[in-house]
Amino acid sequence: MLEILEYDFMQRAFLAGIVIALLASISGTFVVLRRYSMMSETLAHSALVGVAVGLIAGYNPMWIAVFMAIFSAWLIEYLRSHFSLYSDAVLAIFLSGALAIAVIIVSLGGAFNNSLFSYLFGSILAVSVEDIITICIFGGISLALLLTFSKELYFIAYDEEVAQTSGIKVKFLNFLFVTIVAVIIALSIRVVGSLLIGALMVMPAISALQYKKGFVNTMLMAVFFAIMGVISGMLFSFYFSLPSGATIVLSVLAIFVFSLLANRR
Amino acid sequence: MNFKAAIFDVKNLNFVSKGHKILTNISFEIFQAEYIAIIGPNGGGKTTLIRMLLGLSKPTSGEIKLYGKKMSHFKRWDKIGYVPQRASLVDAAFPATVEDIVNMGRTSKRKLFSKKTKEDIEAVESAMAKMDVTHLRDRMVGELSGGQRQRAMIARALASRPEILILDEPNTGVDTISQNRFYELLRKLNKEEKITIVFITHDVGVIADDIARLFTINEKIQICNNPSEALSCEEMSKLYGIEAHLVCNHKHGH
Repeated sequence: MLEILEYDFMQRAFLAGIVIALLASISGTFVVLRRYSMMSETLAHSALVGVAVGLIAGYNPMWIAVFMAIFSAWLIEYLRSHFSLYSDAVLAIFLSGALAIAVIIVSLGGAFNNSLFSYLFGSILAVSVEDIITICIFGGISLALLLTFSKELYFIAYDEEVAQTSGIKVKFLNFLFVTIVAVIIALSIRVVGSLLIGALMVMPAISALQYKKGFVNTMLMAVFFAIMGVISGMLFSFYFSLPSGATIVLSVLAIFVFSLLANRR
Repeated sequence: MNFKAAIFDVKNLNFVSKGHKILTNISFEIFQAEYIAIIGPNGGGKTTLIRMLLGLSKPTSGEIKLYGKKMSHFKRWDKIGYVPQRASLVDAAFPATVEDIVNMGRTSKRKLFSKKTKEDIEAVESAMAKMDVTHLRDRMVGELSGGQRQRAMIARALASRPEILILDEPNTGVDTISQNRFYELLRKLNKEEKITIVFITHDVGVIADDIARLFTINEKIQICNNPSEALSCEEMSKLYGIEAHLVCNHKHGH
């Protein structure tokens, strides 16, 4: 295993992968508890529009992706709280709409298909030093905010109305939460791709929930499963020349299946 | 001078939803250490009223004051503990031990970045002891019986050391023995801890001797100041229709 760490690009890949695993699993635990799993998929596709714009306009795609994901998250949250729309339908509209826009933008640009492909399915081995710095700065801020408000977010996930009546600023925290999720998703699509990031957020948390432990233990297990999934996925990817995003997702899927079978009644 | 300040002061409250009058001209006051039961038929507006008292929905017209302050200016929500209707029907997969749940009651009291204080720990321990769930602290809420879950939820509400406890029929899925134990706990909280209790229930016969006043809500409000005598079957039948027989039987069996 150690010889693969001799390559600079693998060192960057492991560093980025582990940071993303940490971010995706902690935010993913709240995403699952709040039944926002579809939200993560939708924001990943919205981020893709940002990537497409970035590729065409010549800006750093990750920055525009962060901006687009945040914009969509706020718009979705606004629509959900101000209109009596079915929230899963709102997500479905955004998901397919965003994907369609991204595809159109890229097809107009013509020559950028390969780059977009790497953002769809992830390209952890192409992670640059600049990407790592961006992931660490924004990921660090997101993680600090998530942990700062974790007890409030946990209460809201348990019962939003009771949390509100106890004096917690539910509306503000809901907006903050979707913003953090949007940022983490936009940062992650370089590593696992927009089609697969939802899985890295949701599956470690769902796996951890099978063990029926308290909140802190569930979150720690989700982090452990995500990091295990990323490391083993990257090893498979390296030794068998497979796409990294897909092998990471299959690894967390294997962990989920194991957790499900190990805890069946 | 025997002056008691009202915790809730509700004046001329109206609530209209999609052209239907849900609540009409509701006025009342609730005072410190009172035990109020609220009854009324399903769809009669009980839960709507409670939601407005908690600031979860806004009245179409009228005014609610809490501790003398307008709703929009009231900040001390930690003084109010709320146990909703679905309290005993918690999602079985939710990753929470009884202690996790009771700790939630301290969330709004704790400052950002601060660790649990001695007061936080004491409040949680004392809430668990009062509700007799200390021995269940490490159990997952999904594994508890209906009655145990209900006690855990009230312990959560008590952990913020509220002065008023609002309970919206938290009895769903709870057996009779647990219910009776629950009524006894509410009585103790009211008599010994002087906690004001506002309790929406269908089961008013059993607690008739504990409560100070009975509010019947069916679009309009009727306030009964002597509930243990006034609960005649005729009145209940008028309010409930056929459901009254069940309520009256409880009363007679008590």
